[in-house]
Amino acid sequence: MSAIMEFRHVAFAHGARTIFDDLCFSVKYGETVGLLGPNGVGKTTLLRLAAGLLRPASGEILVRGRELGNWGRRQLSCCVALVPQELEVPFAFRVEEIVAQGRVPHLGLFGGLTSADHEAVESAMEAVDITGMRNRVLAELSGGERQRVKIAIGLAQQPKLMLLDEPTQHMDLGRQIELMALLRRLVERGITIVAAVHDLALVRDNCTSAILLTPDAPAVAGPVSELLRSDLLERAFSVERPSIERYLATQPGSPGNAGMAAPPSLDSKEATGQQEMNEPQEHREHLRRPGEQLRCRGFARHGRSWRYWDHD
Amino acid sequence: MLLLLAIVVSAGMGAVKLSFGEVLRALLHPAEAGDAGVILFTLRLPRVLAAGLVGAGLSATGVLFQGLFRNPLADPFVLGASGGAALGGAIAVFLVPALSFAGVGAIELLAFGGSLLAMAIVWTLAKSGGHFAMENMLLAGFAIGTMLNAATAALELRQEATNPGMRILAAWLHGEVTVPSWTQLSFVAILEVAALVCALPLARQLNTLALSEEYAAQLGVRVARLQILVVVVGSVLTALAVSLGGLIGFVGLLVPHFLRLIFGPDHFRLLPAAALSGAVFLIVADTIARTVFAPAEIPVGMLTAFLGGPAFLYLLNHRQRSSTV
Repeated sequence: MSAIMEFRHVAFAHGARTIFDDLCFSVKYGETVGLLGPNGVGKTTLLRLAAGLLRPASGEILVRGRELGNWGRRQLSCCVALVPQELEVPFAFRVEEIVAQGRVPHLGLFGGLTSADHEAVESAMEAVDITGMRNRVLAELSGGERQRVKIAIGLAQQPKLMLLDEPTQHMDLGRQIELMALLRRLVERGITIVAAVHDLALVRDNCTSAILLTPDAPAVAGPVSELLRSDLLERAFSVERPSIERYLATQPGSPGNAGMAAPPSLDSKEATGQQEMNEPQEHREHLRRPGEQLRCRGFARHGRSWRYWDHD
Repeated sequence: MLLLLAIVVSAGMGAVKLSFGEVLRALLHPAEAGDAGVILFTLRLPRVLAAGLVGAGLSATGVLFQGLFRNPLADPFVLGASGGAALGGAIAVFLVPALSFAGVGAIELLAFGGSLLAMAIVWTLAKSGGHFAMENMLLAGFAIGTMLNAATAALELRQEATNPGMRILAAWLHGEVTVPSWTQLSFVAILEVAALVCALPLARQLNTLALSEEYAAQLGVRVARLQILVVVVGSVLTALAVSLGGLIGFVGLLVPHFLRLIFGPDHFRLLPAAALSGAVFLIVADTIARTVFAPAEIPVGMLTAFLGGPAFLYLLNHRQRSSTV
């Protein structure tokens, strides 16, 4: 079996509201899977099902060929790590102590951290480059830094499969690109990744395959090139086809090359003009490097990412 | 060490002053102690030990409930658990005195029931909408606590002043540490130590719960079971503390707060530290309460309210400011 995770005819409902009817897909070892879909379609629910936090009403979820019900809770936590959207800690725990919580599924009931645990925590912090802030408390960290702490918790679990719920949320462009590079390094370490992401361009440039959830229609899974078709996206996001086509057409090839990408073409400027791009934003744009300009406008066209400018 | 010192020193203080040496001598050679021994063993020592047990129980419960609600303002008194325990205990004293076995048992049992019930109600109310809002927790605790205290006071009014239970009840409502019998004292001490030992592994899991319920579940913690166990153990500790000291407020808030400044937020370290420091704190507070205005005694609950009220308000204000940033 080459599938690390498989959903077979999974149904799930929140009270009276059906979220999934007959959800089928599989994730192969070493893949990077983008989980796409409009807000409220059930991306978080899917990830929580996959992490064993919710039980499907019917159908089967298999991890490494074994049904979730046959996994011990801790055993599963050592194999599958969920990185939820939010992390807020009401007490003044230091970053290092928070990351060490990722070792919990590996510990005995009374067990303290062994040297192997400390090593795992250390290498998790190194992987996301937060060793310098080990003694700081979470409240002092920026959104991007917090995001990295969350991923470090997941890495400390030493999982085979990592489920990320909107890891690029609250991140500016530079941090998003860094995060995607980090995810690629995780894949090189042999971790399979499923990430709910809103930015189609990030999915196209960084994922090997994708799952597209559409309200009131079956989910579609497959290679990214097949999935990012305007007809599918049009239906899923209820956006008009021309704007999706323009959106995808004007994205740079790879975020890793963003800094070196060609300056914006006339076409993309025209496309921008059709959006509600106003004067101050246009002005700010000139402060950016060419590649970044392009991507930012891409966000604007997508309809919900004006916050990049808002944050600046 | 500090705890032992506090016990010896405060045992010496009171209407009849005993010197440090006299107390030690009486403790080491009880048979030859004479008058000092009588005072020490029938009055002082039980009361001092009772104060220690009350302080330890309330502080440890504070740590547990703060971890449970993920909120440093939680405290058995603030949440109404103490009120529930007092009402349960009062019912035991007046309505089912026949239930007691060897003078102990019924009070603690019904106090536990009352505390558990109060916590269950506050829990349900505070949890509306899937997660805890601080306002919900505080308001629910306040409302339940006030209702329960009023019910306890109503029970008091219905009784004749000659009822021996009256004295106990008045002491409870004011938060006054009583002089317990040795049987009751050892009963409470054994249960309290057992509850604290049970609480230790829970405290470790509360560290994981601090990340969020979803995170804790994702990391293999059985969240619902943990929450129920914490409520049960916390209710046991509250009931034991209330059976000896009644409604003493804010101890579970003050002690953990200051210990966090020293030891950091790790619940596993905080719990034993809070139990020991809570014991010392309440022994000292109770000694002050019974000696400063001698021969009159003020209930130690008043003293902790004077200290804890402002601290509570400070924390509330501080938190609100930091959360709006």
